[in-house]
Amino acid sequence: MTKSKSKSKIFELLLYPAPLLAFIIIWYFATQGSQERQFTFSSPEKVSEAFLRLVQSGELLQNCKVTILEALSGFLLGTTSGAIIGLSLWYSSLVAKIAKPYITALATVPIFALAPIVISWFGIDIYSKIALAFLSTVTVAIVQSYQGAMAVEPRFLRLMHVLGASRGQIFRLVVVPSSLIWVLNAMKLNIGLALLGAFIGEFISAEQGLGFMIVKASGLYDMATVFVGVIALIVIALLLTSLVEQLEKHLMKWKVH
Amino acid sequence: MSNEVKPLLTIDGLCFDFSSQGQAIEKPGNQILNQVSLTVRKGEIVCILGASGCGKTTLLNLIAGLLTATKGVIELNTQKPTKRLGYIFQSDPLFPWRTVKDNLLLAADIDRSLDKNALVQSMLQYLSMFHLSEQILTKYPIQLSGGMRQRVSIIQSLMFDPELLLLDEPFSALDYYTKLKLESEFSQFVKERGTAAILVTHDIEEAVAIGNRALIMNGGKLQKEFLIRSEAAVMERGTSDFAEKYREIWSELKSVVGEIQ
Repeated sequence: MTKSKSKSKIFELLLYPAPLLAFIIIWYFATQGSQERQFTFSSPEKVSEAFLRLVQSGELLQNCKVTILEALSGFLLGTTSGAIIGLSLWYSSLVAKIAKPYITALATVPIFALAPIVISWFGIDIYSKIALAFLSTVTVAIVQSYQGAMAVEPRFLRLMHVLGASRGQIFRLVVVPSSLIWVLNAMKLNIGLALLGAFIGEFISAEQGLGFMIVKASGLYDMATVFVGVIALIVIALLLTSLVEQLEKHLMKWKVH
Repeated sequence: MSNEVKPLLTIDGLCFDFSSQGQAIEKPGNQILNQVSLTVRKGEIVCILGASGCGKTTLLNLIAGLLTATKGVIELNTQKPTKRLGYIFQSDPLFPWRTVKDNLLLAADIDRSLDKNALVQSMLQYLSMFHLSEQILTKYPIQLSGGMRQRVSIIQSLMFDPELLLLDEPFSALDYYTKLKLESEFSQFVKERGTAAILVTHDIEEAVAIGNRALIMNGGKLQKEFLIRSEAAVMERGTSDFAEKYREIWSELKSVVGEIQ
C-alpha cells in the first residue's frame, strides 16, 4: 500500500517538468534549420548561450539585483502600510466610508498611467521604481486587510465583549490575528504586482534592471536576451511567492493540522 | 441567610425591541421582550424553554450587556467589584490561532491585574473537573472533538470565576452520551461552587435533568414557571419524578407551540 503510494508520488514528481520539457522540445524543433524563425522566436540553444554570456559578464545578476531590490522594497512598503491602513479602518466606519472612493480610485488607475508622473517626481533612479511598486501593491493590501478585519466572526467579538475587553484589546487579540490570512493573500497577489510596478518603471525610463535589459535587447532584436530577462522575472516571482508560502506555513500552523 | 433573601440576579419589567438599537434589524417597534421579570439565586440552575424566536437568546444577550434594554431593570448583586459573567454559546468561541492553553488564559490578556499563576492553577483544576487531560493544552482547537471544544469553552468562561453563568444551548450540537456526561459535570460544578446559571435550551429532558426551575417563554413573555427541585444535581432519567416533571413541561410547551402554529 505505502510502496504503491510512494511510487505514485515519484511518478507525480517526474510529471512536473514534463510540460516544460515538451515546450522546449517543440521550440527546438520548430526553430531548427531556419534563420528567419530563429530571429523571430529565438531558440533554446540561443537562449542558453545568451544566458551564459549574461551570467559571465555579471550583467544578469546585476540587473536581477536591481529589480529584486526595487520590487521587494515597494512590496514591503506597500503591503505593510496597506495592511496597517486597512486594519485600522476597522476602528472607524466613518473614516472607512470616506476612504472607500479614494481607495477604489487609486485601485482602478492603471499603474502605466501613473508611471510618467512618478518618474518625473522621483527621477530615473530606483526610487521611482520603488514608488511604482508601492503604488501597485498598497491598494490590494488595504482592500484585503480591511475585508479581513470586517469579516471577523461575530462569536469572537461577542466573547470579547462579554469578557469586558477594550476596543484596543479586541483589535490586537482578535481583529489582527483573524485577518492574517487576508493579509497573506494580499502578499501573494502583491508579489506579481510589485514586479509589474518595478518593471513598468524600468520599461519607461531606467539605466539598469531586468526591464531595462529587456527593452534594450528588444530594440536590438536580440530575442534570446529578451527570453533570458523574462525567464529571470518568472524565477524571481516564483522564489518570492515560495517565500510568502513558507511564511504562511509558519504563521498559519494552526490550520495545517 | 441574607444572601438567600437577596437574589444574585433580579430582572424587573424588562422590555426590548430592535428600534432601541438604532438599527432596524427586525420590524421597528416589534416587541422582542415584553415585561420580563425574573430572579435567580446562588446555586440555582434556571432553564428557559420556548419555541425558536421567542426571545430566549435576546434575554441572555441583555443580561450579558451585549444589547441595551428598551425598558426595565437588570440588577446583578455580585460580591466582586467587577460584574463579570460567563457566557457559553452554542458554537464555541475558541480562537483557532491560539492553543487551548492560550485560549484558556485569554482572561490574563484582557485583565492584567489577574494573577497568572493563580489562573494556571485554576485552569488545571477545571481540566480535571471536566475530565480533560493536560496534554490538550498544547493543541489547537481544530485538533479537538466537538465535546472537548465545548468543555474547553465552558472552562474558558469559568476562568474569570464568574458568579453567574449564561448558557445558550451549549450541549445541543453534541452526541447524546457526551451531552449526558457534560450535563452531569456541569451540574456537579454548580453544586460545588454555588454558582448560578441560566440555561437556554430546547431540550425538556435536559431541563428536567439538571434544572432547579424551568421557565416557559412565549412571544417575549415568561408564560409559566415550573419548580423542578431545590438542589442542583442530576435527576435520574426514568424515575417517576423525572417522568412527571417531563410530562408537565411537555404539555405546557406543546400548547405554546400549538398557539404559534
